Amino acid sequence: MQLQYFLILAAALFCIGIFGLITSRNAVRVLMSIELLLNAVNLNLMAFSNYLDPAEIKGQVFTVFVITVAAAEAAVGLAIVLAIYRNRDTVDMEQFNLLKW
Amino acid sequence: MIQYLLDTIWLVPCYALLGGLIALLWSPGVNRVTGPRPAGYANLVMTFTSFIHSALALTGTWNHPPQEIFIPWLSTAGLNISIDIEVTSVNVAAMTVLCGLNFLAQIYAIGYMEMDWGWGRFFSLLGLFEGGLCCLALSNSLFCSYVVLEILTLGTYLLVGLWFSQPLVVTGARDAFLTKRIGDLILLMGVLGIYPLAQTWNYTDLAQWAQTANVNPTIISLVCLALIAGPMGKCAQFPLHLWLDEAMEGPVPSTILRNSVVVASGAWVLIELQPVFSLSPFVSGAIVAIGSVTAIGASLIAIAQIDVKRCQSYSVSAYMGLIFIAVGTQQDEAALLLVLSHALSAALLVMSTGGIVWNSITQDVTQLGGLWSRRPISGLAFIVGALGLIGFPPLGSFWALLKLADALWTTNPLLVGVIIFVNALTAFSLTREFGLIWGGKAKQMSERSPEVFWPMVLPMVILAGFVLHLPLILESFSLLPSWAVLNKDVALLLIWSSIFGVSIGGVIYLGDFIPKPVKLPLQPLQNLLAYDFYTPKLYRASIVLGVDLISKLTDIVDRFVVDGIVNLFGLISLGGGEGLKYSNSGQTQFYALTILLGVSLLGAFVTWQFWGDEFMNLMSASVSLLPQ
Repeated sequence: MQLQYFLILAAALFCIGIFGLITSRNAVRVLMSIELLLNAVNLNLMAFSNYLDPAEIKGQVFTVFVITVAAAEAAVGLAIVLAIYRNRDTVDMEQFNLLKW
Repeated sequence: MIQYLLDTIWLVPCYALLGGLIALLWSPGVNRVTGPRPAGYANLVMTFTSFIHSALALTGTWNHPPQEIFIPWLSTAGLNISIDIEVTSVNVAAMTVLCGLNFLAQIYAIGYMEMDWGWGRFFSLLGLFEGGLCCLALSNSLFCSYVVLEILTLGTYLLVGLWFSQPLVVTGARDAFLTKRIGDLILLMGVLGIYPLAQTWNYTDLAQWAQTANVNPTIISLVCLALIAGPMGKCAQFPLHLWLDEAMEGPVPSTILRNSVVVASGAWVLIELQPVFSLSPFVSGAIVAIGSVTAIGASLIAIAQIDVKRCQSYSVSAYMGLIFIAVGTQQDEAALLLVLSHALSAALLVMSTGGIVWNSITQDVTQLGGLWSRRPISGLAFIVGALGLIGFPPLGSFWALLKLADALWTTNPLLVGVIIFVNALTAFSLTREFGLIWGGKAKQMSERSPEVFWPMVLPMVILAGFVLHLPLILESFSLLPSWAVLNKDVALLLIWSSIFGVSIGGVIYLGDFIPKPVKLPLQPLQNLLAYDFYTPKLYRASIVLGVDLISKLTDIVDRFVVDGIVNLFGLISLGGGEGLKYSNSGQTQFYALTILLGVSLLGAFVTWQFWGDEFMNLMSASVSLLPQ
């Protein structure tokens, strides 16, 4: 097992997350894609921490923070989705295009 | 006293200009109380003053050397322009004639303009003309002459356009201004072109320079051609002659001046410049050619006109053509003599027929007739004027024409033929006018035609007296050639040509043998002459058309290309804004995509140095692996 494979896996996960982020019509799925992105980042941090910094493992500390912040972000994100849903009765991203030209 | 008057001779134009200014005080808009008549009287007084001044000064110039006065005008680096005045007997005599003719024409105008309100404007313009012409007569500088000529061109525009509510007056004034202006502008080219050559604009210095000048013949020919263009327009020579025909729309008293002196202003400049013209034989030939063509063409046209004022205006063009011939063959004295005798006679002719027009209304000679028994004074004045104009001894023009023809007799007999031919044609045309107006039976328009009242008859009679006395005056100043050295053949030829023209005219128009209106066997020829060679059509098909098309084209280029390019930039910016705003699609995910793209591109750009070459190699390797 090498560092590169972890990094490539994380990059693939990041790309999948990006694809989901940009193409999903459901707002909850967008939030889920963001979670994928954050988890890809966490994978990177853990891999670097394991292979490059096994003594002080700063990457793992970063990962703990990222997970924490991601949880908070998901909570706020879901709250926003709920708030929009209450007003507009939909979570379709393509219905939220009021702020255009 | 006389010396004092001579020293202050420059006041003569000032009197006239002052008179013109005073006349403006009685414009209808300024003075609503008195009516316009004081304008005329004030101007008359000022003109009389200038006449007396110049006439008295004239006695002082006799047998005196020329006196030059320089009034500095403008001095800049390398150029000093001064108003050069030369006081010679010729200049002062010219001024006396000018003021005298103006005085008579103004008395005439007081009668003629009886029922008109525009005296303020009319007399102020007459004052401007008198002042301008006197300035021109005094001026000894080509530059000052040019300035005066331009002012007179503007004056012509205003004077012809006096009754501007008539559409023909407006077009006539326009043509008079533009035609003369073109001549003047080309003259300006000549004026500017001769300065580097001669370093002076003073006529005396120019003449001295011309005696020893050694210049490129092409250059001097071009400069001289430009210099004759101004007088060509002023003197209504072919092809710049149409304006004089159309200027006959103006009031008769101004026509008196125009036919006698204003057109002569060009001839005056031409005579002053004669030493320069003699530098180039080609230009002398051109002057003679222009003069001959105009003299013959215009006298033929004059025969075919039915408007009495136009009959006379073409005769004026023809006589100015003779003056051109005289200048082109270096006959200055004959030219001056011809200017003098023509001025008096032409003025008398216009005064006489103007009186007819005044109370017979129509200007159409075919509608007049049978006035001899009722209008004897006008008729006699016309006869005197006509005889004074054609070669009829002992009146003035005979001597001028004789002098000219005599000088050309050995050198250029063809030109003598032209002079004799023009003389015969003019004699015929004047007899035709006389026969149609005074001879025959009275027609409807001339049924009741009393003689005009004194302000119009008086100047006519006085002027007729002057025309009759002109030979005596010339004799007393020993300006006439002595009979002993005269070429009797030429004299006889001239007399015979006059008699020939008069008698044929008399037979046709006073006799009853030929039905009126006379029809030529060739109708197109008659129309060609009656419509003065279709000059308006020629203008409209050549110069006017060209300028019109070019200006329209320029307008289109301006409107669409120049304007369009600038507007295009504005439109592009506008369209850019309008089009690019759609990038704000309102889709949050689209914004996320753009952010991602931006970051990736920036990242790729920054980190290219670490992996770019390797990547490119990989790409080319994979391309070469592709199946061909």
